Order: sequence, then structure tokens, then C-alpha cells
Amino acid sequence: MSGVVGALVEAWQELRINKVRILLALFGVALSVAALASVVGLGDLAREGYKVQAERSQGRTATVALSVNGPTTPDPVRLEKAYQGIVERYGISYWTHTAQAQARFQFPGGVQDVQMTLVDPGYGFIHRTDVTQGSWFAADDEQRLAPAVVVSEAFYNAAGRPDLVRKPLAKLAGDQETTAVIIGVVPDLFPQAPPSAFMLNGAAQTAGIAEGYGQFKVWVQDGQAAVLMPAMQADLQAQFPDLYIDASRMDYAAYGDPIAIAQLAVGAIAGLVLLLGAVGMLNISMVTIRYRVREIGIRRSFGATSGRIFVGVMMESLVATSVAGIAGVMVAIAVVKNPWIQEKVAPALSEYPPFPVEAAMLGFGAAVLVGALAGAIPALVAVRIKVIDAIRF
Amino acid sequence: METLLSLRGVTRTVVLPDDQELHILRGVDLEIASGDHTAIVGRSGCGKSTLLNLLGLLDVPSSGELDFLGTPVQKISSNQRARLRGSTVGFVFQQFNLLQGRSALDNVMTPLLYASGRDFWRRRELAMEMLDRVGLAARADAKPNMMSGGEQQRIAIARALVRRPRLILADEPTGALDVETGQTVMALLDSIATESAAALVTITHDHNVAALARSRYRLDAGVLQALEGVPA
Ligand SMILES: Nc1ncnc2c1ncn2[C@@H]1O[C@H](COP(=O)(O)OP(=O)(O)OP(=O)(O)O)[C@@H](O)[C@H]1O
Ligand SMILES: [Mg+2]
Repeated sequence: MSGVVGALVEAWQELRINKVRILLALFGVALSVAALASVVGLGDLAREGYKVQAERSQGRTATVALSVNGPTTPDPVRLEKAYQGIVERYGISYWTHTAQAQARFQFPGGVQDVQMTLVDPGYGFIHRTDVTQGSWFAADDEQRLAPAVVVSEAFYNAAGRPDLVRKPLAKLAGDQETTAVIIGVVPDLFPQAPPSAFMLNGAAQTAGIAEGYGQFKVWVQDGQAAVLMPAMQADLQAQFPDLYIDASRMDYAAYGDPIAIAQLAVGAIAGLVLLLGAVGMLNISMVTIRYRVREIGIRRSFGATSGRIFVGVMMESLVATSVAGIAGVMVAIAVVKNPWIQEKVAPALSEYPPFPVEAAMLGFGAAVLVGALAGAIPALVAVRIKVIDAIRF
Repeated sequence: METLLSLRGVTRTVVLPDDQELHILRGVDLEIASGDHTAIVGRSGCGKSTLLNLLGLLDVPSSGELDFLGTPVQKISSNQRARLRGSTVGFVFQQFNLLQGRSALDNVMTPLLYASGRDFWRRRELAMEMLDRVGLAARADAKPNMMSGGEQQRIAIARALVRRPRLILADEPTGALDVETGQTVMALLDSIATESAAALVTITHDHNVAALARSRYRLDAGVLQALEGVPA
């Protein structure tokens, strides 16, 4: 007990006396620890943001798109029955048709083309569409007389930001005079996006909006995608033996983790910087150990064992780099939790995840490792110092 | 009187870089009992420090027998020697050898860092007592480089004695001091050693210093001879 405390006392004294040199060496260590922990933290943040964004445009993990393609065009009624059969047989809870269409709307400022996405209610879950106002489609919205639309922020602005509680109408300009009810608003997908809107498939038919090429998407549990995809494909193939059936994953996770590579690259650079910091630290410790030969000799003559000398020199390095490690991690937390940086790294997120524990552990662990490495070599040198030679004058 | 050290035919030989052997000590016989005050004189380079290093367990003989508290030193491991040295021996050096940058108090506490139990935990108190004993309690926070040679050597004496060693080894403790200061320091060392019933072995060039000791030896060409009477 007194041995451990004694070694700590010694290390602390040594650090206090060599403040400047230690501080300089530690600056590099702290900086690279900060870089390392920040890379991991920012990477996690970016991944989270990217995931949300990717899931918005491509669908949640795991979204499977089914399509039946010709030589001949399949009978739409039979096809729809087949799709609904899949939904029933495989216990699919979220599904949607998606199709793109154009529509012209009458805005206070004039008529404008609007990009329409024709969907089913399940689209909201699959694509993580969060409404900022109003609500997403419910199943019975198809039965409305005036078709319901969920509009983008840009559309909403063009319409003069009406109060949704009063069920504002939007006029479709065309041969057939139709009015739609705005029931919800979603954020723009990107800044300066042109006005766009969602409408339910059934309602679009009534409104006479021509539908383009469509897809049928279902959501399954991530782990089940590999099993269900071929099963659903075979199922459809059996019903349409002469057509090409395609079942493929749409979500970003299907292509591997795109952040990991960037994170690995930056992490490797930070690791290199840390290594340089370790070499600098080692260099300084080696130089000072030469100045400390006499001091170590004196300690030995007053009863310090060689193990104690080893631990003392080692501990000095460890105590120093641990402090640097904590400082580095604190800098990393300040960086990763900085609101401006968060906004830039993960613009898609509205709520940010906490600073990852692994990042803090990694940073601190790396610092301790550097301390151990940079301490072990001079400690070995210190142990080999001959007492008689050290105190001779 | 208990025998602390007993040397019979102790030699110390070093191999020089050109493979020649240098016989520094050639058969030293010496007995030191607790409470003894011994002085060793001799010309520069005759092997006095080498002998003192052997007495203080910093080194082991090349041949011959050296018993420390009845145990042959060859039989104890270097770690055990370090502990034994810490608990039993106190060194005073010619160049003081204080730790630079550390306060007087820190310096005096240093040996207690290697002690265990009560001595370790009470190190500040014990060091302060010792500083008080050498008359430097008021300078506890001063750094050695701000002190006079005499003061530094008194700090070194406090450090050597703070663990109440049974053997005090002083290698030319007055060598770096003027005659008067040297005498005060030596008188202090002598009286503290007497108080604690410790054995004191002093290496010196100064016959006045040697005169304080009860038994005196001369080391010449690696051979130790007892001196009769007080040399002029
Ligand atoms: N490890 C060693 N290697 C080579 N020579 C050594 C070694 N140790 C001591 N010597 C030599 O042995 C001789 C005695 O050394 P020692 O230090 O014991 O002398 P001393 O009597 O203490 O001298 P001084 O009064 O000058 O301190 C010296 O000539 C010294 O150079
Ligand atoms: Mg000498």
C-alpha cells in the first residue's frame, strides 16, 4: 500500500518539477487523443445523420422493393392481388406503392408544377417521414371526397402557409377542376427544393393524376431480409411464370457502411499522430533520464529497490499521459457536442446522440498505452543505472 | 555491543576497459559495532569510497567475507539489500547530493517514501522533526540551490538520519565546506549519531575531523591499517 502511494507521490513530484517539458510533450499526446476520440465521435454522429437521411430517401433497414417486369405487361388487378397476397402471407406490417407523377397547382403567385409522390399510408413509416405540422395519411384518407395531400415546406410556403386546422384547400390546375386538402407538412429534402407533395394512390386515381413507373416496397426486420427476399421472389415467380421478378433491398445498409471507410482513414491518421506524440514523449523521457542518473542513484542509496525505480519512472509517464488523455477526451467531447459542428455533420438529425462511450474509452486507452510505451523504455534504462557510478563525483 | 559489520579479507577488483584488473581493495579486515565512531583517512584514489560503498551495501566484495548484521551480503538479493540499506543505513555525501528543485522538506522525506507503515504515513512529521533537530525547520520550504553549503549538508544529514539508521556512512562530509562550517557540521553529525546510538563511519582528509572519532584507520593502496593515537 505505502509502496503504491509512495510511487505515486514520487511521480507527481517529478511532474511538478518538470512542468514545462512535460506539458510540451503532453500537448501532442492530448491533441492526438482529441483527434482520435473526435473522429470516432463525429463518425458516429455522421453515421447517425446519414442513416436518417438515407432512410428518408431509400427506406428503413430493411426495405425490399418488389417488381414484376415484362416481356408483356402484367394485368394490374392480378398484380395487385399478388402483392396483397405477399403482404398477408409474410405478415408484412408496412408496405407502400410508390410512383412519381407531375401535377399543376394553382398558388396565390400563379400556377406551378409540383412533383407528386403517390404512396400508401405505410410509406410514412418506411421512409421516416416526420411531419412538422398536421399529420401523415391514415388508412381512411383515401375515402375523402377532396384528396388529401401532405406537402413539402416549399409547397406550404408557396401556398402562403395556411392554418392546417382550418383544412386549407389547394387547387389542382387542369382539365378537371379538383381541390385537395393539405393535411400535413414535411421538411424539404434539401435546401431550395422545388414544391413537392405526397398523395395516396387511390386518391390520385380519382383526381386523374397520371401515374408513372411504380414500385412496391415492403418493410421487413433486418435479420429476416435475407430469408424473405428469395421467398417472396419465388412466390411471385410462381404466380407470373413468364415475367421477370425482382426483389432487392433498397436501404443504405444493403451496401455496407459508407462512413466506416472514411472513419478508418481519419482514425489511422490520428493513430499516426499519436504514434508521433509517443515518439516525442519517449525522446524527452530518454533525454531527461540522462539528467536524472544522479537522482536515481541517490534514491537507490536511500533504499529504493530497482522495481520501485522502474515503477516510479513508468508511473510518471502514465500519470502524465492519463492527464493528457482526459484533457484530449474533454476536447473531443467539446468538439463533437458543439452545436455548430453537430449541425454541419448531421444536418438530418433533430436530436443528437450522446458522446459515444467507446470514443472516450478509445481516446483514454490510447493515451495510457502511449504512456506505458514511452515510460517502459526509460524505466528499463533507469533500472540498469549503477548506483555507485551514479553518485560518484 | 552488537556487531553491525564484519569484514574479513575483503577485496574489490574492477576490470578496466582494456581488460586489465584494478585491485582497489586488497584484503580489508574491519569490525564495526553499534555506537562506534570510526574515521578512515587516506590519499585520494586509495579506495575509500569503494570501501564505503561496500559497507553501505551499494556494492558487493569481489572476494572475502562481509557480514551485515550477521548475514553474509552475498546471500541477500539486491532487492533485499536495497530494503536493508533503506532501513539501516544513512548516507552523507561530500557533494550533499540533494535532489534539485525539491524543497528541503521533500528532500528529508525522500528516504521515508521507501519506508512502510507508520514511518511512511508520518513522513512529513518525522522529516519536520529532523529538520528541527539540524536547526533548519524554518527553511523547510526552501530549495537547496538557495542555501549555503553548510545548510545543504545539514539538510543532507537530516535526510540521512530521518529513518533512524543504525549505521551512518559519511563520505568526506566536510570536503566541500570551509573549515569552520565543516567543524560545526561534523559536531552536529557526531552528536546526533551519539544520541541515536548509531554507528558512524566517516571518510575524511581532515585530521581534525578524524580526531572526533574513537577509532581511526588509514587506507593505503587498498590495505586498511588501524591508527594509534591522535595524528598531529
Ligand atoms: N568502477 C570502476 N571502474 C574503474 N575504476 C574504478 C572504479 N571504481 C573505482 N575505480 C578507481 O579505483 C580507485 C579508488 O576509487 P575510490 O573512489 O574508492 O577512491 P577514493 O579513495 O574515494 O578517492 P577520493 O578521495 O578522491 O574520493 C580510483 O583510482 C578510481 O579511479
Ligand atoms: Mg571518494
